[in-house]
Order: sequence, then structure tokens, then C-alpha cells
Amino acid sequence: MEDFPEELRTPPVALSCLIGCPDVHPLITAHLHSQQPPINAIALPDFSKISMIPPKKPSRDPSEPPAGIIKRDWFSKHRTRIPAVVAAIFSSRDVSGDPVHWLQVCTDLDKLKASIRGRNIKLVVLVVTKWNDKDNTSEERILALRKRAEIDSKNLIIFVPDHEPELQQCLSRQVPLIVPLSKFGLWTVLGELANTYYRDEGRRVRSRLEKKNYTSMELHVRYCFKVAIYAEFRRDWLEALKLYEDAYHALREMVGTSTRMPPIQRLVEIKAVAEQLHFKMSTLLQHGGKVLEAITWFRQRTANYRKLVGAPEVIFLHWEWLSRQYMVFAQLLETSSPNALHVPSTDPVAEEKPTEWEFHPAYYYQLAASYLKEKNTCLEFALSMSIDVGAFDGSAESVVASAYLGQYSRLLEHEDAFITQPLTDMEYVHYALAEGKRFKDSFEIIALLKKSFEAYSSSKAERTAAYCGLQMAREYFSLNDFSNAKQIFDSVANLYRREGWLLSLWEVLGYLRECSKGTSSAKDFIEYSLEMASLPETTGSSESFSKDCGPAEPATSSQREKIHKEAFEVARGESELNSDEQNSAFKVKSDYPIYLEIDLISPLRVTLLALVAFHQPMVKPGGQSLITISLRSQLPINVEIDQLEVQFNQSECNFIITNGQKPQISSIDIVQPGHRVETAPDLVLATNKWLRLTYDIKSDLSGKLECIYVIARIGPNFTICCRAESPALMNDSPLWKFENRLETIPIKDPGLALSGQKAIQVEEPEPQVDLILDSSGPALVGESFILPVTVASRGHAVHSGELKINLVDTRGGGLLSPRGEESFSSDNIHVELVDISCDAPQDKSGAPSDKIQKIQPSFGLISVPSLDMGESWSCKLKIKWNHPKPIMLYVSLGYLPQSDDPSLQKVHVHKSLQIEGKIAVAISHRYMLPFRQDPLLLSKLKSVSETDQTPYLALNEKTLLIISVKNSSEVPLRLLSMSIETEEKSVACTVQPQQEEFREAIVNMPGEEFKKVFTIIPKVNSTKLKIGTVSLRWERDSNDTSSQVTKYRLPDVNVELPLLAVTVECPPHAFLGNPFLYSVKILNQTEMLQEIKCSISDSQSFVLSGPHSDTMLVLPRSAQVLTYMLVPLGLGSLQLPRVTVVSMRYSAGLQPSTASLLVFVYPTKPHVDLKPPGDA
Amino acid sequence: MIVCLAVVGHENNPLYIQSFTESDDALKLHHIVHCSLDVIDERVNNPKKSSPAINEAFLGLLYPTENYKVYGYLTNTKVKFILVTTDLDIRDADVRNFFRKFHAAYVDAVSNPFHIPGKKITSRTFGERVSSIVKPFGLNSAS
Repeated sequence: MEDFPEELRTPPVALSCLIGCPDVHPLITAHLHSQQPPINAIALPDFSKISMIPPKKPSRDPSEPPAGIIKRDWFSKHRTRIPAVVAAIFSSRDVSGDPVHWLQVCTDLDKLKASIRGRNIKLVVLVVTKWNDKDNTSEERILALRKRAEIDSKNLIIFVPDHEPELQQCLSRQVPLIVPLSKFGLWTVLGELANTYYRDEGRRVRSRLEKKNYTSMELHVRYCFKVAIYAEFRRDWLEALKLYEDAYHALREMVGTSTRMPPIQRLVEIKAVAEQLHFKMSTLLQHGGKVLEAITWFRQRTANYRKLVGAPEVIFLHWEWLSRQYMVFAQLLETSSPNALHVPSTDPVAEEKPTEWEFHPAYYYQLAASYLKEKNTCLEFALSMSIDVGAFDGSAESVVASAYLGQYSRLLEHEDAFITQPLTDMEYVHYALAEGKRFKDSFEIIALLKKSFEAYSSSKAERTAAYCGLQMAREYFSLNDFSNAKQIFDSVANLYRREGWLLSLWEVLGYLRECSKGTSSAKDFIEYSLEMASLPETTGSSESFSKDCGPAEPATSSQREKIHKEAFEVARGESELNSDEQNSAFKVKSDYPIYLEIDLISPLRVTLLALVAFHQPMVKPGGQSLITISLRSQLPINVEIDQLEVQFNQSECNFIITNGQKPQISSIDIVQPGHRVETAPDLVLATNKWLRLTYDIKSDLSGKLECIYVIARIGPNFTICCRAESPALMNDSPLWKFENRLETIPIKDPGLALSGQKAIQVEEPEPQVDLILDSSGPALVGESFILPVTVASRGHAVHSGELKINLVDTRGGGLLSPRGEESFSSDNIHVELVDISCDAPQDKSGAPSDKIQKIQPSFGLISVPSLDMGESWSCKLKIKWNHPKPIMLYVSLGYLPQSDDPSLQKVHVHKSLQIEGKIAVAISHRYMLPFRQDPLLLSKLKSVSETDQTPYLALNEKTLLIISVKNSSEVPLRLLSMSIETEEKSVACTVQPQQEEFREAIVNMPGEEFKKVFTIIPKVNSTKLKIGTVSLRWERDSNDTSSQVTKYRLPDVNVELPLLAVTVECPPHAFLGNPFLYSVKILNQTEMLQEIKCSISDSQSFVLSGPHSDTMLVLPRSAQVLTYMLVPLGLGSLQLPRVTVVSMRYSAGLQPSTASLLVFVYPTKPHVDLKPPGDA
Repeated sequence: MIVCLAVVGHENNPLYIQSFTESDDALKLHHIVHCSLDVIDERVNNPKKSSPAINEAFLGLLYPTENYKVYGYLTNTKVKFILVTTDLDIRDADVRNFFRKFHAAYVDAVSNPFHIPGKKITSRTFGERVSSIVKPFGLNSAS
């Protein structure tokens, strides 16, 4: 785009001219520029410079044929030299001053008028005045001036440069000023006149067009072009576009008809004009936002012109021209696309809609590059065809571009004057060839492709980008820039490999092979050659013989074989790798060995694939396992391997397989002595056939044994190191995945072929030591549970043995209670390992210095003394349960069977045991009142809520406390003693008995309950009296473990003084018909008189005497007794009449429970006769 | 005239690619087919909302190269058909019709019990059938 002249690239701007008063010129030009649309101005300081404006040429002789289509400088002339309007500037002093000055003004004006009349240029007169001087300007003179200039009043402007508001109005505003003459602003006036000028000019040329007043097609095109340019000056884009199109069509017609010039140059001229027209139209369309039209139109016209190849000698000019069209269009698209890509088109597009890529500049760049490439090819061909280009070189310099666009002529110096002379076609061709030779297009092609490549890459069109990359790399290759070429080729090859495009890959690899030759890299050369040779055959006969595969040559099987042989010749050192360009040879020797590594992602996996499978998943140490190594190659010719080395992660297992056919190969001496060497009958890899080798292998080390590499050596200096793969995980390379070929399994056993692994697990040696954990049932909370552990050797001696003990919560939680994990106090550890006590070691060799003993609450580590075969050792674990919890005890023993070999691995024995921790005894308690005695405790009456379970005891009254002990374990326990330890010394309450040692231990069988009664008399009135803690000493009945103490804290009680106490008294039994006394004693412990209501219900079983229902007063601190006499009428256990006592003050009543009102009535007084019955 | 026909698999790998020209531009046609996969990707991933039939298999003109036109077709198993033709004034309906026939031939070829799905199509019968579809296509549009 930069090749086009400035006036074509920018929208045309009207041109004006300022004459006279040079001091105001900068002010005016700046103003004109700043307006929209701007006006350019030529500034001429005085009237003597009028001649700068080119005078009108004499009109052309119509009979004479035109020499060309468009003059090269016509447009620039109108842009820079011929103004549309001239502004004559006079100072007001000159106008209104003395007659001499006035006369001068008149002459200048006349001269100016004369010179611009021919071109029909418009005139404006400016009178410059000072602000304080403006009233002095003579009205008459102004009028005279206007008359003389023959202009409208609006075209005469009074100009006041030193007064800001006035100046602004003069320059632009339309509001009339003090002076009515300057009605319009300068810019408006100039713009209007310029418009008129361009319109008139356009109309003039147009009338010729309409009258068909032209003799040749050239003139038609020229007129259309001119009218369009004038229209552009007026910013009438639509008209301009239409006329450009007319010009374009006329030009297209000219191709076949014009005979004015020799044919080659004629076409060149036409194309040059067409190029300008195209450019103008594309710019107009795209800047107008009509991208769609621009694209459609571009497609049409390139299709039109693509066929105009021209004479065969200069075909390259055509491609160059076409390439430039695409490039310029791409650049235009790039500049316009962001703002106006999706403007809906108004015209229905006849042609089908452009596809996605056609909106991308990258598409056009790519095509531009491909045409430039075409040009390059044609140019080279043309150069090779022409013999005498060199001879013409001298005279080519005298060829210059002539006055007409697209024409060239020879410049001859003839007697101090230059004469141009038309060229013959022959001469022109020579000139063009010489010019073509001067430029290298490759870099331009690469630049274009790079733009396209980047654009495609960023829009994620990786395949198209790869194609651009491929072309770019080819260009680099042709420039012998191998490193750049290789880099791009490599990335392109990756894409083709991944998607399996064989033919394309073949071509790229061919280039890469040549690049590696160019860089003298034998390794690359061999790698690319081997990859090429092992590519699948392309299907379809026509593809494989495609001859445009570059240096790779057609992808036939014979070519594959040839490449294969070349690669191996270089690898074996039989032939040299020589690059044609640098003339340097490279040979594989012992100094330069070749080492190829093939891993899981290498493209060379198809060249050599090594699968390794162990036949078993696990093996005992020292046991034999079979291993199968399967090798496959897709190379077209059989490959014989001299030696195979199989490497494992345990290097002692490495072994070498030599070729039985080549026993003389001496490469074995690379191997360290002592390594295993196997000989195979032959090591020949046939195309797509598995070479299976099965050997047995033995490992003494436990752990993982994995095959890592299979290394093939071919010839003395060529090594292929292939990473071993498991058959189970094998996946085919993308290139071969889609091929139809014979699928064979790598290992004969199909199960192994599907699941075989390249690694095997070598087990630990079998332990020959017993670890015995003795458990005596569940543990009881509180006791120190003793667990004996015995290590008994059966077949191994034990050396540097270690015993590890772990306690683990079976439910997964920690052994600590959630409260205090920081502090290891015994309260918040549920279960802890307290101690490990061992037998006193039978020291034979003094105390073992390395004895370890480490005990933590849940972990223990202890060293085991050396044991000979058959000996045993034991220790006791002491574990304490603080809370009932089942735990898992893990004990593991690690030892060495031999003391002298520290490299051996330890043998481990593991044992585990689940132990339940249980609570031994459950203690509960209960308070009881003495029989038939009820104190009135007010707070007990009030506490109605269920939640308040605190028992209430009466102050100074005797209360019974019953402690019951239930054996909740599974073993019989012996209870030794029970005591209540009061916390507050005997003042608070008295407990009887304080402590009791059972004379004979009480055996408490599982599930049994044992009860003991204590009496308590509270002595202090307190709401929270601490009674004390019950301590129970017990031991297991079975063995001689020490006794344990279980404590039980009695809950606090409320102690209160009873206000009233009711005691019912009656004999425990009665006799039928015999009266007895039944009394109710009411004790008032308050300081107040208590009104008591008391009633007794009748009973059928008794005859009753006494107050049936009564209200009485009980004096403070005294007692009242109600006495009844009762005679029983029935027999047996009878219910006494129920007495109800109600305290009026406290609204509390007492109804004794039915159980407390039972009496047994005998028929008679039992008569016990102590004498024997025979005495009677 | 149809110059190249290709069946492209799920991993954008060619399953069948056949050119029908005498000249040696098979490789160039391979590149054209390969590049047009980008257009198919874009068209399939960003379907135009205004497009009348989203579920249509025929993808239309992928892009005009200067001398060829490339058309695409996507089967419901996401196998792509690509057609390269030198007929620059060809009607969509003709191409659509051609693809329909070709699709039928393809379905028959992959229904062969000896064909392994996902592998290249090497059936000679398929090749013959394809050439019998290709030949009249050129004649029809020329008339």
C-alpha cells in the first residue's frame, strides 16, 4: 500500500491559493486545515508569483491519438498545484490609501484575473484591516474593488486579524458583522467556491463523456477517472465510485481492442491503471463500511484479470501484479475491518456470499504470498530462458517511467537535452527482467506468510497456519536457511503426525532430512530417514506417485527402501553424510557415535518398539520369573541387530543378548565382566513382525523390579535406546492406528499380551519367627492390663530385632479425648501404653549397648535381643484403659536373619489383636427415709420441675443411703472394701459406717448386684451439700493381680430444716379383737403456731375410736399427738385407716403411702409351746 | 470436475482421500483438504444463529481457493466429507445431491463386516462406486 503515491492513499482535499499579505498566511492556512473538511492552501507572498499556477495548456488536437491513458502526475497536480480558488489579499491601507497604492491593487487584481481565467479558477478578495482602523476603510473603494474583481459581495471579506471575536467571525461564522460585506466566513466561502470549481470541471469533462465526444477508449477511461477524482474532491463518494467503475469496465474492454502500443507494454499500462482504479474503489468501499461489497467486487475483478497472463516472457510481471493486488487488499482490510465488519449490505449480492476466511486479511496475505512465489518461479524460468540479460544491463539504466501511468521509455541525452524515446517490447522485456533480477522476493514472501501464519494461529486455525508455515519453511529452505526451516518444519510435522496426514508428513520429513544434511547433523538425518522409511504406505496409487513432494521424492515403497538403506549406511559408518551446499562430509566413527533415544512420545516408536512383559505379577526373592521382550519395527527392509541389552532398575539383573549369527562382534567388551550374556539364534527384525525373546530372570532383592531400557546396537557406533513399554499400556502411534494391517499380538500368550507389565514385585523372604500375643479376655477400665508378647524363633535367628507396638482406635478416632490433645495427662488419654517390661536378657555378651526402648502413649519401640534358632523371648505390655474403648494393638517385629550382612533387607512379622476395654463395676445409690416418718420440706414442695433431681434431705434427721454395686464385666470380681470419704470434715454430716473392710471378700459374679446401707445425718443447712465419694476396692477373682479402686462420687444434696415432721406409730402386728394404739405425732419445729387439719378415713377392717376429723393448733417447737384406738376385725395383712394431715399455713398435706400403713393381724396371740407335744 | 474427495475421521485423520486429476497435484489437494478442516471446525463450533438448518449435514462452501471450490459435509457420526472441485459456477443443490450419494456409498462401505470402524477405507468396491458417482457429476454441471 505504501507503494502508492500519497495523493492516492489519502482522501482528496480541496486546494486554495493565498496571494499577498504574507504575514496573515500562517493564520489562515492553520484555520483552513483545522476545519472539517479541511482545505489545503498554497501561499504565494506577492502577486509576482502568480505564474506558479500552471497556465491552461492548449487544447489537444482531437485527431491526434492519445499517448497514454492517465498522466502520472495529473492527480498530484490537482492536489498540490492547481488551486480551485484563489484568495487575493490586500491591506486596507492599500485599498483606501493614496491613489498610487490603489492603482497597484487594481493592476495586481487584473493580472491575477487574467491568469486564472483560463482554468476557470474562482476568486475571493480579502481586505486586511486593523481593529482600531476598521472604520477608516472607505466604502467606495471596497465597492470599486468588488466591481473590479467581478465578484459577489459575499466573496469580499473584511479581515480583522488582531481582534479575536471579529477574527473568528471572519474566518468561519456566517452572522453579519459590523461590515455587512463579510457576510460569510472565509472557510465557508472558500469551500463553496472550491466545490463549485470542482463541480464545473467535473461537469465539463462529463459532458464530453455524455456526448461520446472522444475518439479512443483511452480518453473514455481518462475522462471517467477525472470526473471521479473531481467528485472525490467534492466528497461525492457515490458518484466517484460509479465513475471509477465505468472507467474500470472501459479499461477491461480496452484489453482486447487497443492497438496503440506494443502488446506487452500495452497490457502493463492497462494493469497499472487498473491497479489504481482497484485501489481507489476498494478504499472507497471499505472506508464506507461496505466490506461485503468490497470483498465480492474484489473477487470478481481478480477473477477477470487473473486470466490476463500476458506474453510468456513476462508472465512473472502478471503474478507480481496479482500478488500486489492481494497484499494491498489485505492491508486495506486490516485497517478497515475492526470498525465496520458487519455492515448489512443494501444491494443484494448476486454472487454467493463470501466465506469466513474471506473476511480475514490473512487469507489475502496468503494468496499474495503464493502469487509472489509463482512470480518467483516464473522469473527464474524467464531468466534461465533469456541469454543476454547481462548484456543489456547497461542500457537498462536509461529506462525511466514516462509521463503516462504504466508507461516506460528510454531517456536519451541529446545535445544537453533529454529526449524520451518509446521502447520496443523486446527492450521492455529486457528491462523488466533486469529489474526483476535486482530484487529478492523470498524475504517478502516469508514476511507475507508470517503475517498470515500469525493471524491464522491467533484465530485458532492451526491447519491453515501450518500450511502457511510449511510454505514459509520451504522458502527458508530455498534460501539455505536450514535452522529456521527446520524449526518450522518440525512444528508442522508434529501436526501432520498427530492427525495422520501421511503424504504431507512425507513431504515435510523429506525437507527435514535435507535440512539435517545441510546442518551436517547425522543424528537428525538418521532419525528423519528412519521415520520416513517406517511411515505407512499411502493408499491410492495416484497419491504415492505425486511428484511434487519436494526433496522427499514420491512416496513409493522403493523410495522408502532407498531411504532406509541410506540411513543405515550412514549409521554403520559405511558412507558419509555430505551436504551438497557446504561440501562438508560427516562420517559416523567411533569418535562420533550415534545414540538415538526412543521414548513413549517419540515419532520413532514406529521404527523400533520394545515391549517387555513379566509372566508373573509377583515372585519370591531368588525365585525365577520369565520375561518376554518383544520388538517390532515398521521399516521396509529387515534389520539385523548385533546386540541387545536389557536394563532394569536393579542393575544386577541387566543382561545382554547377542546375535548368534554374528559371534565375532566384539562389542561385548563394552559390558562389565560378570554380567549375564545370552545368545539368541538370530536378531532380525522383519517388517511388522514381532521378534519375541523369552528369558528367565532372578532377583534377590525384594521390591520392584522394572525393565527400563532395551538398547539395540547395530554396527560399532550406532545405538538405539528404546524405553521399555508394558504391553498392557501400549497404544499405537497415530500414524499406524488408522491403517489396515495385520494385527499381531506382541506375546504368544494373549492374556499376557493384554495385561503384561514391565515391572514385577519381588516379595520379602518368608519370616521364620513367630510372634505370639496372649490375651486374657477383655481389659477392665482402671486396671493395668498385662499383655504378654512372645517372640519365638522357628527357623531364623533374630538379629537387631525391633518390636514396634501401636495402639489404634478401632473406630478410627484418636485415643485422646477431644478435650485436651495438648497435654498428655492420664485423664484425657483413653488408652495408654504404660510400660513394657521384658525378661531380664540372658546376657551372653554383656549388656546390649544398642538397646532401644521408647514408649509413648500409643506407640512403643523396643529392641529384641539377638536370638538363636529355636530360642524365644517375651515381654509384657502394660496397657491402661482410662475409658472404655476397644482398641487395635499392632505389634510388628523387624529383624535380620543374618547378623553379618547389613545389606540384606529386614524381614517383618506383623500381628494384631483387638482388645475391648470394659467398665468393671457399676455403682448406684439411693436415699431412703426412716419408716413412717415424713418431714415437711418446703423447697421440695416447690420444686416441681422434673429436671431438678437433686435429692432433699432433712436436717438433723436420719436418712438411709443404699449403695448398690453391679458387676458389669464378664469375670467374677472380689469386693474387698467399701467406704465413703466425706469431703468436708465430719461437721457437715455424719455417715455411718465410714468404712467397712469386708471380713471375707465378697465374690460378685457377672451381673450380680451387691448392696450396702449407710446412714447419713446432715448437720448443716445447705443447698449443695457434698456428701462424699464412694470408694470400692476390688480385684479379679481369677488371678493375683493387684486390687483396683473404683470411685463413685455421690451427687450433691439439698439439706433443709423440716418445718413439720409427721411420725405415724403403730405396732408391727395386732391380734384379732385386741385393741391397739395408732398414733400420729406432729412435730412443729417452727417458731409459729401451726394450724393442722387432720382427718382419718374409715376402714372395714378396723373399729376405730378417736377424732374423726379435727383442726388443731400445734404450738411452736412442740409436738401434738393424735391417738386412735383400733380393734382389728379382719385377718392378715390389712390396710390401716388412712390419716390425712394438712398444714393450713403451707397448704401442704401428708398422705402416708399405702405400703407404710400395713399391719398384720394374727387370729390369736401365737402360743409357743416349748414343751414337746408328747408331754401334753 | 471433482478433483479430490476425502473422508476425514474424528481425529481429523484422513480415512479416504482420492484425487481425480492427471496432474501431480495430489499433495496440494491434500493441503487444501487439510486446511479446510479449520473452516469446518469453526463452522461447527460457532454455528450462525441465522443459519436456517442447524442440523443439516451439508456445510456448504468452505472457501473458494482461486482455482478450486471446497465443499464440506458432516455426517451424524461426525465424519467429515470434503469435496474439491474445479467447477467455479456450481450449484449448491448439485453438491448436496452428490454428497447424499457419497454418504450412501460410505455407509455401505463401513457397514462391511470386515471393515474396522475408525480405520482407513481401502475397499476397492467403494473406490469404484465413488468414481462412478464422481464421473457423471462433472458432466451434469457442465451441461
